[in-house]
Amino acid sequence: MKYLLLLFIVIGVALSCKKDKVEHIPTPYELEIPSHFPVMQIPEDNPMTVEGVALGRKLFYEKKLSGDNSMSCAACHAPSSAFSDPNQFSEGIDGTQGTRNSMALVNVGWNNFFFWDGRAKTLEEQILIPVEDPIEMHDDWSNVMATLKADVTYKNMFFQAFNTTDIDSTHAAKAIAQFIRTMISGSSKYDVMYKNENNITLSAAEQIIFSTITPEEDAGYDLFKSLNGADCFHCHNGPLMQVQKFSNNGLDASFTDLGRGGVTGSANDMGKFKVPTLRNIEFSGPFMHDGRFNTLDEVIEHYSSGIQTSSTIDPLIEYASQGGVQLDAFEKNLIKQFLLTLTDETFINNPDFQEPQ
Amino acid sequence: MRGLLQLTIILFGFLSVTSCKSDDPEVVEQTFDTLKITVQPVFGNETLYLDSTYQTPEGYDIQFVDIKFYFQDVRNGLNLFKDASLFDYRVRGTNLSECNGTKENFSNLQANLGVGANVNHNDPVGGFDPNSWLYISNANDMHWDWNPGYIFVKVEAKVDTIQDGNALFDHNVVFHVGMDENLKTLSFTDINWASTGSGYTFPLKLDMLHFLDTGSSSIDLKTEFTSHTLAGQEVLSAKVMDNFKESLTPF
Repeated sequence: MKYLLLLFIVIGVALSCKKDKVEHIPTPYELEIPSHFPVMQIPEDNPMTVEGVALGRKLFYEKKLSGDNSMSCAACHAPSSAFSDPNQFSEGIDGTQGTRNSMALVNVGWNNFFFWDGRAKTLEEQILIPVEDPIEMHDDWSNVMATLKADVTYKNMFFQAFNTTDIDSTHAAKAIAQFIRTMISGSSKYDVMYKNENNITLSAAEQIIFSTITPEEDAGYDLFKSLNGADCFHCHNGPLMQVQKFSNNGLDASFTDLGRGGVTGSANDMGKFKVPTLRNIEFSGPFMHDGRFNTLDEVIEHYSSGIQTSSTIDPLIEYASQGGVQLDAFEKNLIKQFLLTLTDETFINNPDFQEPQ
Repeated sequence: MRGLLQLTIILFGFLSVTSCKSDDPEVVEQTFDTLKITVQPVFGNETLYLDSTYQTPEGYDIQFVDIKFYFQDVRNGLNLFKDASLFDYRVRGTNLSECNGTKENFSNLQANLGVGANVNHNDPVGGFDPNSWLYISNANDMHWDWNPGYIFVKVEAKVDTIQDGNALFDHNVVFHVGMDENLKTLSFTDINWASTGSGYTFPLKLDMLHFLDTGSSSIDLKTEFTSHTLAGQEVLSAKVMDNFKESLTPF
């Protein structure tokens, strides 16, 4: 009887010490792409998985990615600011400021190039850069990965996502890219206006939103698209509210920041920057590559009367020789009312994009 | 005698078997070549480079910024070469269209300069395969969502029409022409496909000097510099399409 009891105790201890085995059983992640959006091209070497997205989300908010463990990706891409930085220039861990405004992270999965100057050709490539940038997170990926490898939770999450314990920066970048690709905004009032215009059937909920569109918002949309009005649509149209190109939108007559020209070295690219989306523009200011405009009113005034001509100005700034499209106060207000229809509260407040607890 | 009978039976059997053998031709797999259609923009006798300076017939300095056009429903009768192709000189260089096929099937080619009315107003997301050049991600800024349909021909340029000695190129030229009524048909006959070693090429040239200076239909950029195919721009829109069609010829 005594031996039997001892045997039970030994077995009990052994079982209680048994580790839960971590397995790699990836679950495909189904992106919720709005019906009026194009297909998102997912890299073949980085398929979307539930495990990869969960890891990417955790890494996005992970301060251990910075040299002094004080700064995560979210520091410059805050949810409350449409995943951008409310400051003109972001401040790195050493207190150094950059020279460009942080870009809003929205519908990035459809972009063909990254950063204001397009120096990264893939999202995964882009993600690797801020961690080692001395004016940003100022760390070293080998340090970061050593820290993450020593963390059992991360070790398990990487294994679940990528089936390896031999992880490096590419795995971290892939996971963060997966998370960012889930950040889709397609539920604004503008989306309902766009669908209606393109004869796409509205759901019952969208019908209700459609009934709330004001005459000012509607007139603002018309003016936004009007060639003799605000003429904004050449660069900002479609469900993504942007075209994939670099443009000199008449900010300066001469350039202190060369933009795309700094990457290609071509005189024809000087002063050109990536055309950004206008989605959630209510929250993504300050505006332009250098965050020079604090308000939407300043932006509208630039296109109305502040255009500077230069050798690389986009020909689509058709009224450049007049300084802009010359809107009156009433028209400027209409444009602003329309721009506010691009706000997507469900995107901004989506719990799946917030810091995991 | 018995041996002879056996020999006869064997011989008969052999002849029966061989005579029944069907005359199946050997299966020869058809081979396809890569057939490419290219377009080299020129300005008169010069190769045209974007952002470089040329002189218009009126003596204005001009720099072309973008040249794009749709080449759609490319076929020779029932032989389809490509559903749609998009020429984008800045992004894709001289490439226009490509398929795997036999050049003998494409000794003649017809295509739309633009996008045919049967697909021009399709939903650019749901109406096409994501690999099509008409799919919204590939069409990019060649699709009008404000007036659903495609831009057929896009020419953007900067001109210095103020001859004051300052080459500021402060006069923008924007031709964005679409709409069903402006669709043109291109036709090429007796095509001489040139061997490239790995396939065959049909080279075209696009003469932008001819585009501006087509006899009675010339375009003076000082006064004719904008068309978005709107009401009131019908004449210039038609002229742009006519001149563009005439300027696209075999090299």
